[in-house]
Amino acid sequence: MGAISAIGSSVTENRMALMQEKCGIGPLEMFVTKYASLLPFGEIKITNNLLREKLRAHEPGLTRTTLLALHACEEAIKDAALTATQLNSFDTALTGASTVGGMCLTDELYHDANKKENGSAYLSSYDCASVNLYLQQRYGINGIVNTINTACSSSANSILYGARLIKSGLAERAIVGGVDSLAKFTINGFNALHILSPDKCTPFDEQRRGLNLGEAAAFLVLEKEEAVAGKKIYAELTGYCNTNDAYHASSLSEEGDGPYLSMKGALAVAGISPADISFINAHGTGTENNDLAESTAMLRLFEKVPLFASTKANTGHTLGAAGAIEAVYSILNLVNQEVYTSLNFKQPIEATRLQPVQSYTKMPLQHVMSNSFGFGGNCASLIFSKTDY
Amino acid sequence: MLYIHQTTCISPQLSFSTIQLDQLQESVNNRLQVIEPAYEGIPNGILRRMGKAIRFGVGAALPIIRGAVASIDGIIIGTANGGMEDCIKFLNQIIDYEEGMLTPTNFVQSTTNAIAAQIGLLSANKAYNTTHVHRGLAFENALLDAVMLLKENTDAHYLVGGVDEISMYNYNIDYLDGWFKKESIDSKDLYQSGTTGSLAGEGAAMFLVNGNSENAKAKVAALHLLHTEDEQLVAKQLTLFLEKHLRSGEKIDVLLSGEDGDSRSLHYYNACENVLDKQATVARFKHMMGEYATASAAALWLACIILKEQSLPGHMIKYGSSSSNVNRILIYNNHKGRQHSFILVEKMK
Repeated sequence: MGAISAIGSSVTENRMALMQEKCGIGPLEMFVTKYASLLPFGEIKITNNLLREKLRAHEPGLTRTTLLALHACEEAIKDAALTATQLNSFDTALTGASTVGGMCLTDELYHDANKKENGSAYLSSYDCASVNLYLQQRYGINGIVNTINTACSSSANSILYGARLIKSGLAERAIVGGVDSLAKFTINGFNALHILSPDKCTPFDEQRRGLNLGEAAAFLVLEKEEAVAGKKIYAELTGYCNTNDAYHASSLSEEGDGPYLSMKGALAVAGISPADISFINAHGTGTENNDLAESTAMLRLFEKVPLFASTKANTGHTLGAAGAIEAVYSILNLVNQEVYTSLNFKQPIEATRLQPVQSYTKMPLQHVMSNSFGFGGNCASLIFSKTDY
Repeated sequence: MLYIHQTTCISPQLSFSTIQLDQLQESVNNRLQVIEPAYEGIPNGILRRMGKAIRFGVGAALPIIRGAVASIDGIIIGTANGGMEDCIKFLNQIIDYEEGMLTPTNFVQSTTNAIAAQIGLLSANKAYNTTHVHRGLAFENALLDAVMLLKENTDAHYLVGGVDEISMYNYNIDYLDGWFKKESIDSKDLYQSGTTGSLAGEGAAMFLVNGNSENAKAKVAALHLLHTEDEQLVAKQLTLFLEKHLRSGEKIDVLLSGEDGDSRSLHYYNACENVLDKQATVARFKHMMGEYATASAAALWLACIILKEQSLPGHMIKYGSSSSNVNRILIYNNHKGRQHSFILVEKMK
């Protein structure tokens, strides 16, 4: 696995921060926007130049989104000890995800989209595919390469696509994940929808006022059981499901149909019942709409709602990276048999009375569910299970 | 792999309300823009707020959704730039109003998953819904997604589509990046130009697919995706692909080639034609559909039409005859030199 977020630039750093209840959300120090002094963000305090140096990535046209993806991908590939032969093999797949792509470069994009001459170095870097096309070239990936954009559930779908490539025999191993960097485009877009909180977000709290945007990247290496041979296994991806809420372009139905169906579907794929879920890493953005819809869906599905928490209070909502980085966090729950505090929670939502985990606790965990629900009603749920290896 | 039961296409040609491919519609200002139908079934209030790609993407999907006998178990769209017109409108507002209070409509409509989402919304479909955005292989990944789903459940039905629009965004950016002709040309002269760049195109092609052959219109027998700039590798992969998927005595009748008039990518198409060694009719489609990331979806629609009619319009032929027994069509497409795909399409027996 590999991960970089506002609370750490490696999986280990992220885990330490989660254990210590560290919040990576605060004032912007690097990114320039009119909202810098008005809103908090989960900014990764590493400049693009530093990233370029560290990753030996000096090719022209590399966006911050691509650099962050490269950082996490590099960590994952090293962690999985993939050899050059394996990387170049025709049965190694790569599926990434992003919602912003190179659109983080607002001014360059404005120029290139509107002016008739002097195109910038980023002409081929604006779409979401540019990130994975760079990774494909950098690592010489010769299997199936793909990019998915389903808004906030993008990288959850990226993970389940890679898993199915392996399941259907189209790949032996898959590098899967997602990334997004801060962009005026998303900041202004979410602000226009009035769902950005002026304070640090408070997922599942009655007084919640919206989400904080964050940036992150995370990649995981999936391999078949038979192919793993002697390498350490973190967890098994046992369940996954993608559904659509089909209610509204930018909000979830009150009954949480999409979330309910995706959670239920993931359980069916895993062949387990609701009572078998030990813990849920919730989508929990801190918006009035999501947290209520997600809570309602949980109450519908689970006779007794399992322990749950939202790590978006630590990292912010990382959009295209959310599904992947929260998958990493769910796996950390399993590997270390622990749950992390859901930060900034004070009082439960009146209508549901559900309370997330309020302190770091070591405990036995067998199956952890991770939820990602996005614009366009795109919902995805993943289930990771403890293995005995 | 999978069977196509229904297919529609909104394109720069007469391909939707009536299908008249012999009447070649030509480019205007180096662009091949879609002929938009009167969209029946989309309320005017909703239609007005839709960006172009969403409008004609949904428009192409609606007949299939309305005509589907069985429930649709998933909506899978491939698009590289769908919604980008709205994206640029929103972006321009950000700059022009210096991040002042903006209206969210353009933002919400501009995400590439808006097409699939809107189709899901209009058909109240809560099943699998996803958007693949891998540029020149976005549609192929969407098709592959359906192939994998059908492997697990042969009786399921999926709506698979490829959609992309000419927007100020991709036209200007791709023009500056050298992907479109600098000189003014007509689409009918595209292949003789000898210069770099192609003509911008757009379109939406939709397919209702299923794992059962009964009543199917065509079969997608095999699919291969490839990233490379080595034409020898392309030729080698094609040879292997044909060895693997053609039984003894079987041959490709038509090579439906994505040749796009860009002198820089001609060598890939030549390499593939050499593999087939004059054994197949070579037909081209980008003078009709234009060049865009999901043009292969329009090619697949064309393949279905050709298999049904057992003939193809003369203006498509590069080499060979326009009518003979067409049993097997190989689509070879290349986007921006680096992304390649082979799709093997077979006539139903």
